[in-house]
Amino acid sequence: MEQAMKTSKIKIKVNGEWNELTVPNQKTLLEVIREDLHLTGTKKICDTGECGGCTVIMDGMVVNSCIVLAVDANGKEIVTIEGLAPIGKLQPIQEEFIARGAIQCGFCTPGMILSAKALLDQNPNPTEFEVKKAISGNFCRCTGYVRIVNAILSAAERLRSENDEGI
Amino acid sequence: MKEFDFIGKDIPRVDAIDKATGNAKFTVDLSFPNMLHAKLLRSPLPHAKILNIDTRKAERLAGVKAVITGKDTPYVFGVSHFDQTPLQTEKVRHVGDAVAAVAAMDVDIAEEALRLIRVDYEPLPAVFDAVEAMKPGAPIIHEGKERNIAAHASYDLGDVEEAFQKSDYVFEDHFETQRVAHVCPEPHNCIAVWDSSGKLTFYYCSQAPDLTRLQLAKAFGIPESKVRVLTHNVGGGFGSRATSKFSMDFAAIVLAKKTSRPVKIEYTRDEEFVYATFRNKFIMDVKTGVTKDGMILGRQTTTISDTGAYCDYGPVNVNVGGAMAGTLYRFMNYKFDGYSVYTNLPYGGAMRGLGNPAVHYAMETQISMIAERLGIDPLEIRLKNAVHTGDETVSGAILKSCGLTECLEAVAEKIGWREKRANPKPNRGIGIACGVHFTGVRLSPGIDADFAGANLIVNDDGSVNLATSCTEIGSGSNTVYAQMAAEVLGVEPNKINVVFGDTENCPMGWGSRASRNTAVGGMAVKLAAEDARKQILSAAAEKMGIPPDNVDMELDIKKGMVYVKGTPSRGMSISDVVKFNRYRKNGQAIMAKAHWDAPSELADKVTGRGNFSSAFSFGAKAIEVEVDPGTGKVNVLKVVAAQDVGAAINPLGINCQIEGGVHMGLGYALMEEIVFDQKGEVVNDHLIDYKTLTPLDMPPIESITVESMDPIGPFGAKGVGEMATIGTPEAVSAAVHDAVGVWVTDLPLTSEKVWMALKKKTERR
Repeated sequence: MEQAMKTSKIKIKVNGEWNELTVPNQKTLLEVIREDLHLTGTKKICDTGECGGCTVIMDGMVVNSCIVLAVDANGKEIVTIEGLAPIGKLQPIQEEFIARGAIQCGFCTPGMILSAKALLDQNPNPTEFEVKKAISGNFCRCTGYVRIVNAILSAAERLRSENDEGI
Repeated sequence: MKEFDFIGKDIPRVDAIDKATGNAKFTVDLSFPNMLHAKLLRSPLPHAKILNIDTRKAERLAGVKAVITGKDTPYVFGVSHFDQTPLQTEKVRHVGDAVAAVAAMDVDIAEEALRLIRVDYEPLPAVFDAVEAMKPGAPIIHEGKERNIAAHASYDLGDVEEAFQKSDYVFEDHFETQRVAHVCPEPHNCIAVWDSSGKLTFYYCSQAPDLTRLQLAKAFGIPESKVRVLTHNVGGGFGSRATSKFSMDFAAIVLAKKTSRPVKIEYTRDEEFVYATFRNKFIMDVKTGVTKDGMILGRQTTTISDTGAYCDYGPVNVNVGGAMAGTLYRFMNYKFDGYSVYTNLPYGGAMRGLGNPAVHYAMETQISMIAERLGIDPLEIRLKNAVHTGDETVSGAILKSCGLTECLEAVAEKIGWREKRANPKPNRGIGIACGVHFTGVRLSPGIDADFAGANLIVNDDGSVNLATSCTEIGSGSNTVYAQMAAEVLGVEPNKINVVFGDTENCPMGWGSRASRNTAVGGMAVKLAAEDARKQILSAAAEKMGIPPDNVDMELDIKKGMVYVKGTPSRGMSISDVVKFNRYRKNGQAIMAKAHWDAPSELADKVTGRGNFSSAFSFGAKAIEVEVDPGTGKVNVLKVVAAQDVGAAINPLGINCQIEGGVHMGLGYALMEEIVFDQKGEVVNDHLIDYKTLTPLDMPPIESITVESMDPIGPFGAKGVGEMATIGTPEAVSAAVHDAVGVWVTDLPLTSEKVWMALKKKTERR
């Protein structure tokens, strides 16, 4: 019954830095992020892909890192909440979450912010419905989502006007 | 009214940056070198004798460091009753009752080891329904508890029989509510660490670390000085972390002792749905006597609450529901009988509002039914019976501030009550309900105290360390404390560093429960800050050569500067005051401490009557729905929620609490339910099967804050969090009736139930 645990060597780029790791084949990306890279901002709420607490951005797409095997993340570029803004700075989505009361206990917040980030990267001018849809895989028990939706909409507006100024 | 710098302002949360950047540490994020991971073996049967437990194979598995059974945990614990043991030795009482635990190098090995433990059971007949459990001949779950009645709470006040005789009408209705889960995002977890001197450090995601410390010291028979409880940020509590009460806690502590290594236990999400407690099911018969113009003369309520295999907060739920049901309206004849009944289901506990949301659902739905039967407007019947400031209610509550009428009128106006009632649209309806909840409570039998503490020290740079006894569980209390201390001390809120969750470095208190953080915890903060302010002023006066008896008249503090009133240029910084005071011969630190016991009283042991809280929060909700008559689906179009918060310390935070409370209330009203199969096992123990409202399901919410200025609370404040959920299901149920003419009297109001009621109504015609 006892089987030698099969492992693989992987290379993943997390928040701009390449990491080489030897991981058991059954280990999830979430476990690698939390246990090997010690980035505990990514949360485990359900561990079955139903709550979005473990959301990270992988090659530009949001994924539930609890249902991605670490070996399948080999060669990919991953952004966790810790990598969203340089240390000491905040991204506009984070600022709007803070200013508009979109954070309470804070446990779902990292995943929620990353879902918002991926949405706004792909769709800078989302409707309220599109925002709600984009975060409907992110479970929150404190807020009733109202302020989260408002925060994302106002972050979108800010980001659009910042980009316009850039042009 | 006095103009404040920080009180009443929308100050963003003091912990928001850490939470938005992933830096905020929760207990579940911690790990230690050499740490083991443990899992509990749980019973597959709902009721069975344990014949034998064989752990030998599990002990031999590579990576297993210790296996324990009930022999290793000879402790008794519980909340209202001491009816629990951590690991069962003689019999199991629900599916999931714990029988053994394993500590291993990792979770996978621990789980593998659980599969190697052999337990021989002899199945016993089981009962899964509280009414069945009370019948003669039902299986007895706890020896000596006849008819499985764990506790009986009663109120008998005034003369309810005489009131019914004087009434023009007496209405009797039956209501039921379901079990709903807290669904805390952070799973329940703990890490136990023993040091070589025999001291336990318990990292615990807790709402009340001091209670946890007392309970663990008592259960293990060791002095409190040998237990330190540490709590970090809490990923949602909602009552489920109000005390230490889980087999998990004891297993981690005993395994850590046995292995001399740190031991961590963390629930999986499916364990969370079954073993983290939930809101109890209530079965209620409400009998109300009214005059023909709608004055309530008396009420009699019988409640059966299914507490599951153990009591936990079950009897407290019943008691609170009973007390609060006598605190909303002016009737003075009241009889209440509440039974907490054991069944072979996992046990419930405390959840946002204890038993009050269930009891409110029944009594407020009945008021709407009575209004309809008498042809009275549901708003008018409430206004007519509503309590007011200065009332002493039948439950014994003394209402020092009460904004109930204002809340009702505010929600009615915002929803367009009168126009919408006058111009009904097909399948659309509006409903209204109101409620009351306490602000802190004297509950613990035998402990006549409802207290909080605050310790405060001013640093050399003029910043402040403020240690409190209340835990920041997400409700925003740390921000409220920073505002209060900043207001009193005349510094910016970001200069206040709020510390919590350490039983050795924070003052003692009953933690974050019972909507007590702002008013009870806040009062301790305010008192400590006022003391420190006096110290700052008197040291500054000494330095500035102002006579000590004129300090208050002559000096003020703003933006960290102590200055002479009328001459802002003459002054010195708090930083300089602190340094002046400290770095001199016979110097002193600027530091202060406060302990606040909220003025309330224990209920009378015979009648149940008493002024059990220092303040009462009132609220009202008006909800508009559309019902699809073809499917019975209820679509909530709008929620207006008004709440009497005494004084709004942080309006932004209050709106957050109200919106979250409405979300939870709508889930209770429409879809949330823990479902059991015929073997007593939870069917829907995943987020995909346990339905809560998603962002797409949420209606617009308008929140209104009513300020009744409580004379006791700090700056006039009262509690917010629990009242925020109350009133939602009853307003939805009234709105559904207004839309399609049927009363559904058991929660949740699923499409099936509404459709069935519509079908019955058509058939009756």
